[in-house]
Amino acid sequence: MKVEHQLHGDRKVYTVSAFNRGVASWLTRLPTIWVEGEVTEFRRQDRWQSVFFTLKDPRDGSCLPVSMPRSGFDALRLELVDGTTVHVFGRPELFAARGEFRLRALTIEPLGLGALLAGIEQLKRRLAGEGLFASARKRPLPLFPRRIALVTGNEAAAKRDFVTAVTARFPAAQIVIAQTYVQGPRAAPALTTALADIVREPGVDVVVLTRGGGSFEDLLPFSDERLVRAVTGCPVPVVSAVGHEQDTPLCDLAADARASTPTAAARLVVPDEGELRERLRALRARLDRAPLLLVERKRAALDSLAGRLRTLSHQSTLARGYAIVRTDTGIVRTAAAVAPGDRIDVELAEGALAARVEETRG
Amino acid sequence: MNDAVPFEQAQRELERIVSELEGGRASLEDAVALWERGDELYRYCLGKLESAEGKIEELGARIEEARP
Repeated sequence: MKVEHQLHGDRKVYTVSAFNRGVASWLTRLPTIWVEGEVTEFRRQDRWQSVFFTLKDPRDGSCLPVSMPRSGFDALRLELVDGTTVHVFGRPELFAARGEFRLRALTIEPLGLGALLAGIEQLKRRLAGEGLFASARKRPLPLFPRRIALVTGNEAAAKRDFVTAVTARFPAAQIVIAQTYVQGPRAAPALTTALADIVREPGVDVVVLTRGGGSFEDLLPFSDERLVRAVTGCPVPVVSAVGHEQDTPLCDLAADARASTPTAAARLVVPDEGELRERLRALRARLDRAPLLLVERKRAALDSLAGRLRTLSHQSTLARGYAIVRTDTGIVRTAAAVAPGDRIDVELAEGALAARVEETRG
Repeated sequence: MNDAVPFEQAQRELERIVSELEGGRASLEDAVALWERGDELYRYCLGKLESAEGKIEELGARIEEARP
C-alpha cells in the first residue's frame, strides 16, 4: 500500500492518519500466532462490534490488549472471567483510528486439563531447579506458637476442623484467621495478599494454609507461582493442608510442613497441653531429686576415698603384726640409736608397751 | 526472666540443667546455681501455660478491603 506524504522542502511529512495506516498495513505482514496469558479487564457489550480484554503475563505483568469480533466470541460460548489462562490465536494489528496496538483474536481456547497439568509440571521443575522445594529450606515449626495464622476459604468445614482440633489440644491457643478466595482465577492473588497481610499481625509465628478437597481445577491456585513464592518467602514457617492426601499442589512442596487434613495441621502447630504439663511435671520431679542424688554421689565418693586412705595408714600395717618403737627423741629405726637400759615405747595394733632395752645387736 | 523467651527455649534449657545435675559432675557450688536456674525456668514455663488465654480473631474484613 502506498502511503501518501507531503513535501516540506526536502522533508517527507506524513499525516497521523497516513502514518497509522502505513504501520497498520505493515503489521498485516506478520503471521497469525498463539499467545498465552491471563485474561484481565474483560469487557463486552451487546452494542459493541468487538469484545476487549487484556492478556497478562503472570510472570512479569507484561500486558497485551486483545480484541475479538463479538459475534465470533459469542459463538465460542466461553465463560471468560478475569484470571483465566487462555491461548489466543490471532494477529497483531494497529487500530488506526486511535493508534492503538493490539492482538486481533480469531479464536480463544481456555487451557485444557492436559495443558494445565503440563504447565504445572514445567513450573514444578523450574521452581525445583531454583531449590525452592529443597528439604534444607524447611524450617522447624515452633513448639508453642504465640499466635497461629490461618488462611482459609469461607467454607466452614476446613476452618471449623482446624480451630476445633487446635483448641482441643491447646485451649490457650491464639488464632487469627484470614478468609479469602480459595478457588477460581481470583484465588491466587487473593491468597498471596492474605498471606502477606496476616504475617504482619503481631505475634504470628506460624501460618497454616488450608482448603478442603476439590477438583484439580479447584486446587489450581495452590500451584500458582505467585503463591508458591509467597510461601517460600514467608518470614515464618508455613504449614500447607490443601485438598486430600493424594493431591500435591506446589504450595505443599514449598511449605515447611505438609498436613493431609486441617486436623492433622492442628496437631503439627500446637502441642498437647496435657502432654506439655506432664513433661514439665516430670522435669520438676527430676530437678527436685537431683540435689539429693548429687549429695549422695559426693558422699559415696568421699566414703570410697576414706577407705583408700585407711588402707594407706600405719594402722593396717600394725594390724598385720608389726610394731612401732619410740624413744623420747622419736621413732627407733636402728639398734645403735638406743643403749641397754634405755626406756622405749612399743606401739601395737591394739595398745602399747612401756619397756626397757636389755641388749643391742648389730 | 525476660518474657520474650520462647517456651520451648526455656523448656530445652530446663532439660539440659536437669541432665547436667543428674550427671553429677557439677561442683556443689555450681549445682546450687544450676538448681536455682532450673527452678526459675520451671516457674517460667508453668507461668506461660497458665497465663496464656485462648483467643480467636477474624481478619476477613481487612483482607477484603486490602484486596485490589
